[in-house]
Amino acid sequence: MATEAKPAAAEDPKVDLFDDDDEFEEFEIGQEWDDKEEGRDTTQQWEDDWDDDDVNDDFSLQLKKELESNSEKK
Amino acid sequence: MAYLSMGEAHRRITDYLSRFSDAVSSQDASALSVLFGVSSNSAFLQALADALRVLQDSDRLVERYSQLAEILSPLLRCLQSYGLGRYTDAYVALEKAANAFLQEFRNWETAWAMESMQTVALEIRLLAEKADRELSSSGKNPEKLQGAGSFLMKVFGALAGKGPKRAGALYVACQLFKVYFKLGTVHLCRSVIRSIETARIFDFEEFPVKDKVTYMYYTGRLEVYNENFLVADQKLTYALMHCCPEREDNKRMILKYLIPVKLSIGILPKQWLLQKYNLVEYSEVVTALRKGDIRLLRNALREHEDRFLRSGVFLVLEKLELQVYQRLIKKIYLLQKQKDPSKAHQVKLESIVKALRWLEMDMDIDEVECIMAILIHKNLTKGYIAHKNKVVVLSKQDPFPKLNGKPVSS
Repeated sequence: MATEAKPAAAEDPKVDLFDDDDEFEEFEIGQEWDDKEEGRDTTQQWEDDWDDDDVNDDFSLQLKKELESNSEKK
Repeated sequence: MAYLSMGEAHRRITDYLSRFSDAVSSQDASALSVLFGVSSNSAFLQALADALRVLQDSDRLVERYSQLAEILSPLLRCLQSYGLGRYTDAYVALEKAANAFLQEFRNWETAWAMESMQTVALEIRLLAEKADRELSSSGKNPEKLQGAGSFLMKVFGALAGKGPKRAGALYVACQLFKVYFKLGTVHLCRSVIRSIETARIFDFEEFPVKDKVTYMYYTGRLEVYNENFLVADQKLTYALMHCCPEREDNKRMILKYLIPVKLSIGILPKQWLLQKYNLVEYSEVVTALRKGDIRLLRNALREHEDRFLRSGVFLVLEKLELQVYQRLIKKIYLLQKQKDPSKAHQVKLESIVKALRWLEMDMDIDEVECIMAILIHKNLTKGYIAHKNKVVVLSKQDPFPKLNGKPVSS
């Protein structure tokens, strides 16, 4: 080929410059599935009542110790 | 490669051509789609590519199909180039064939060839990507995907109007989104979305479910970038709930965006969800919110910074800081209450400074006062700051309002 003499332009790596890592995989053209309501209980996936008043976890107990020890120092 | 006689090559090519012609005249879209499936690597098309290598002047055979010749001649060139691994040539030829096919497709009154038109749309995008990789590795300008975008826009225009072909428009819209996301020109999605969403002549629910799911995934991601978390939640939740149950890969991709959106409105994913879909990079972020551990949040963001930046959710996660502060102050308040309920609603700024110092965050009392002012302003804390006494006086009623599925006010 006539253009073979051209050196490889390695200094211009434009490949995948804007690549999208999260490209949605293709479904088959014409593919369908049973689009029913069941099995969509989102309460099993998510939790919105997590902000409880419990302070017996390790983090809270440690925090308590820190607050108290420091105030005694004062 | 096994020896291929001229006769056999001739037979394979004429077979392909008559199959194509028969598929068109009998309006058999699935048979036609197979013939357009350039990158499907089917044995049939590979055998054809071999034949095209042996018999160079296939154009002579195409002449018989006068009306379809403008599609068939470049399509054969495309298949031949593809077989030789010359993707740029293959793309250029396919674009010619695709334009000629679109011309025919426009003239057909019914939508019988929709599946084939969609196959062409997919192939155009896939081949353009291969061509661009080839072009940039030889130091040339990769511009084919952009060209594919222009072609797909033409297809979209042919479908999006009123009429029986509209049901196929959403598929092409999704192909356009994939192109625009890859090229980093997501602003171009807007006109496509407008055309889909403002049309009153067609109910969105009438589109095929697979296209609705893909559409909601991409428009949901756009809403994440625009920080419209409520709309993003709606769209991504729709995508997740309607996604093909077996397609775990796509469900994972939806969750990758839905989780930060949910976190930003105060909703946590259950741990099993993170495990099942291998999204453990969110685990520590969730734990940080639960505990009020601001150090853990910062560490988690630093550790997975690259990943979060690449998917564009870093800024969303960074904003969770305020919620973590809220949780920490609440913990201090609860601990005080345990000790002496009568004084619990007065939190010394000094106590917060100490808690933060324990978490290895050096802040002076003025900085902490500033953070408290922000929490109060954003309604994450109710109360006021007694500046002179260096104390936050918390409201006795609901001092730490929950987000309850709403974003932090701006």
